[in-house]
Amino acid sequence: MSEAGSTLPAEKRLSLLVTVLAFALPVVFVLVPLAIFLGYSFFSVDQGTIVYGFSLGNYVRFFTDPVFLPVFWNTIVLCVSVAIVCILLAYPAAYFLTTLKGRWRYALLMLLLVPLLMSYVIKIYAIRSILGLNGFLNKALVALGILQEPSTLFVFNMNAILLTLTLLLIPFAILPIFLSLERIPQVLLRASDDLGASGLQTFLRITLPLSLPGVASAASFVFVLAIGDFLTPQMVGGISGFTFGRILYSQFGTAYNWPFGAALSVALAVVVIAAILIGERFGRNPGTSA
Amino acid sequence: MSALPRLSTIFLAAITTLVAVLLYSPLFVPIVSSFFTISHGSVDWSSPTLSTYVALAENHDMLVALRTTLIVGVCTVILSVVSGTLLALYYHGRRSGRSLLQFIIFLPFLMPPIISGLALLIFFREIGLERSLLTVVIGHTVFVLAIVYRTVLMRLQSMSRTLVEASYDLGATGWQTFWRIILPNLSSAMVGGAILAFALSFDETMITILVTGTQSTLPVRLWAMMRLGFSPDINALVALILMFTVLLCVLAARFLIPRQVATERT
Repeated sequence: MSEAGSTLPAEKRLSLLVTVLAFALPVVFVLVPLAIFLGYSFFSVDQGTIVYGFSLGNYVRFFTDPVFLPVFWNTIVLCVSVAIVCILLAYPAAYFLTTLKGRWRYALLMLLLVPLLMSYVIKIYAIRSILGLNGFLNKALVALGILQEPSTLFVFNMNAILLTLTLLLIPFAILPIFLSLERIPQVLLRASDDLGASGLQTFLRITLPLSLPGVASAASFVFVLAIGDFLTPQMVGGISGFTFGRILYSQFGTAYNWPFGAALSVALAVVVIAAILIGERFGRNPGTSA
Repeated sequence: MSALPRLSTIFLAAITTLVAVLLYSPLFVPIVSSFFTISHGSVDWSSPTLSTYVALAENHDMLVALRTTLIVGVCTVILSVVSGTLLALYYHGRRSGRSLLQFIIFLPFLMPPIISGLALLIFFREIGLERSLLTVVIGHTVFVLAIVYRTVLMRLQSMSRTLVEASYDLGATGWQTFWRIILPNLSSAMVGGAILAFALSFDETMITILVTGTQSTLPVRLWAMMRLGFSPDINALVALILMFTVLLCVLAARFLIPRQVATERT
């Protein structure tokens, strides 16, 4: 809009200012911090002070030390599990929503998304109290006769992180799956029905394949949010639930090794970017540009 | 999908109910305990009370944290809406360099907040900027900018070109066209973006923990308290915040969903 009709000098000056701002803002506040951060990953620490010299030591340590790679791998497995559980729960729910008519459909969708608005920290705290030894979950399981006595199986370990992250992230799986299911043209389903396919056949051969892009987006969202989370594992993980995010954070706290923490962040970023790209690649509906 | 067999409908409804119960149970706990006493996993339904709300009004620390959060939220909204709108106006209709810069704008939103937060923490240290509310506002703005930018850009793209052309044909200057045609058409997208930005800023925890100085926002304050356990008045606060955010969300939906789409869907 600035190219046409800008004859006044004041306008010219303004459009120059906008141009400078448009480049400077993202570069100064996003690119530069990330570049410095990346740079830090090549520094090292000696006696508690940072040595500003190029070294690949942090990366060598990450790949050779017996501690970091297993935790890294376990965290990836954990977050893939979270994504799978979220999708297994979200898919039927999203499918159910699309069977509803008009107003009900969106009312129920809203209902399932509203919990996202609740304070994240409070939700973690509430879930922890539900999973705990005196929590509702143990009460219910004992009352149902599934457990003889309250168990500590659900809190302060990897299970707890898996359960908590799943509860927190389900809405992020529901939305993309719902949108891709909703986009399937009804004519296809009617045609399939007319041609004599059973409900199951129509689902397996029409609905499911056409909704897979939504599933891919959902998996990518949930995975990225799960692996980047530090608050949940810190609060419900206890001593045994040690995730990559916690190791990373500790480098900036107790371990005080910023350069190594920066290198760990680079490893995390690589996984996140890969997950986003995979989600993008498979999350796009064939034949549509949107 | 109306020809769904009865059994599978029951199955789907059951799973949906389970999901709803799973999603609402963590909300249920603090809201119920803001009115009733809970001890050892069971609720004492016999004596509803508002004492937690009274206690909240006297919890000075919490109210200060709430005020800090609101200040940060308002500053973030102003900064992100102004710069997000400017960026959207600038990159709309411009091809060269847009995708790269757009990618940069989206990075803090896509990256885990722990990475964005640490990068900013080191950046502030390198340029010698003391950690304070200013650094928190910068962190939040960088984080929510992508949302405002995208909301405004999408509205710009759906705006008819003929409007702007008609304005020029009728002899309006670029300035007049901007104030009288473009900005009024963008206003509802800007309000919607502002509400989303505020909601994100209000609950942002990780970046804030990393870049804040001595003053803490509400989520950071809650985070610090969580190790020791919460006093009952926190439940009252949480119930109030939930009501407030649901209200905000309904407002945002009204501004962001175009009317014809809303009617088309029903």
